[in-house]
Amino acid sequence: MNLRLRPEERAALNLRSLYEDCGYSFYRMSRFEEYDFYADKKDFLTSKSILTFTDINGKLMALRPDVTLSIIKHAKNSEDVQKFYYDEKVYRVPKNADSFREISQAGIESVGALTDENVREVIELALQSLEIVAGGRNFVLDVADAGTVSKLLEDNPNRNEILKCIAAKNIHGLKALNAPKKIIELLENPEDIEIVNSIQKHKDKIRIDYSAVSNLNYYNGIVFRGFIEGVPESILSGGQYDGLMNLMGKKNLRAIGFAVYLDLIRGEKNA
Amino acid sequence: MLNIALPKGRLGEKVYKLLASAGYEFPGILDNSRKLVFENENLKMRCFWVKPFDVPVYVERGTADIGVAGKDILLERNPDVYELLDLKAGFCRMAVAAKNDFYDDPEKILRVATEFPNIAKNYYAGLGREIDIIALRGSLELAPVLGLSDVIVDIVETGTTLRENNLSVINFIADLSARLIANKSAYKFKENEISNFVKVLAV
Repeated sequence: MNLRLRPEERAALNLRSLYEDCGYSFYRMSRFEEYDFYADKKDFLTSKSILTFTDINGKLMALRPDVTLSIIKHAKNSEDVQKFYYDEKVYRVPKNADSFREISQAGIESVGALTDENVREVIELALQSLEIVAGGRNFVLDVADAGTVSKLLEDNPNRNEILKCIAAKNIHGLKALNAPKKIIELLENPEDIEIVNSIQKHKDKIRIDYSAVSNLNYYNGIVFRGFIEGVPESILSGGQYDGLMNLMGKKNLRAIGFAVYLDLIRGEKNA
Repeated sequence: MLNIALPKGRLGEKVYKLLASAGYEFPGILDNSRKLVFENENLKMRCFWVKPFDVPVYVERGTADIGVAGKDILLERNPDVYELLDLKAGFCRMAVAAKNDFYDDPEKILRVATEFPNIAKNYYAGLGREIDIIALRGSLELAPVLGLSDVIVDIVETGTTLRENNLSVINFIADLSARLIANKSAYKFKENEISNFVKVLAV
């Protein structure tokens, strides 16, 4: 058989074999979930728009907008570390688009009573995933600690405005908003993050960059965003989201994971 | 190669003169020709004029690595880019203006004429006020004068045009000026070029 794979198809297969080798088990999601499942978890959805339809029994159903939520629902309420990976299509309205799109996503989630070692493994896999999708091009993983930012902005009336400025590296905006000095320091001169210090492979691709902090309602610890040269937006995004575990009745457990946006892979090299 | 999107018009020319005085020159760029793209081989830089409103699009999608855009346009389009510098040029304000004798009837839906529908929507959503957006492309002052709208949300520089039409500012929304923006991905891979550029414009 002489099958010529498209670059994103080849990348998806390579990612799957990487995750499989590291002990992650494949999670196959059903195409539909009940709409109610998402209604109270909107903080944990990247896109607030959900494609819905009424099933023959009258139930309002949703065409999956996300995989992570279903994996967390599926995971056992146990301290055992459970590791999943997926390769699915999700249905979302991308930013600035005016209709739903089918988006290819591959990724992993690691849940349970996670140790630092488990967290480190996920960051290492993010780096290796970037290497695969970069296909020889340069890549960078921005890492930050959303927990630190969260603490600094507790009770701050300008929290949302400040977060926007952080994501935009907008120092003049932060000063105008009287943001805590520490926030500006974190952007201009970030301190080391302990957990990434001990990563060996692709260490030179890690940047401590607090503009990776975006949604504090979703992420509560390490957050990261991956970029590859020639692709104008981040192709990988993830972090630690213990809040969702809590919300879904899995108390005092941790969760961390990331998604790779396979549609952004292009064959040609951008000059 | 560093790609730079400059806004056509006075602001873009002003920023270009700043660049030129720091040694970033693109011969012929200020001549009135139909040429759109200017390259400086030695600097490994390419400069192009685009409509001011489109600068964030070029930068967000990575066609330009950096660009110069007014804060009004950034607030309206809300692009996912880095905003690296306030260039402290083209100062003005986004404001709500109405006829001098305007009375705001809270029981009525407020009719708002503007070139910036998102800014207007966000502003009034924050106040919890229901509005009817009338999207126009210029000559905003005409709308309240002729009764097309109750108020306008627009850029105010000196306020002269408002005064001449018996209008006045009733609410302030935001301070505006030109900003240097950068594509997030380009920033990672062209870090040196971009930070040199920032240094030049920061003085």
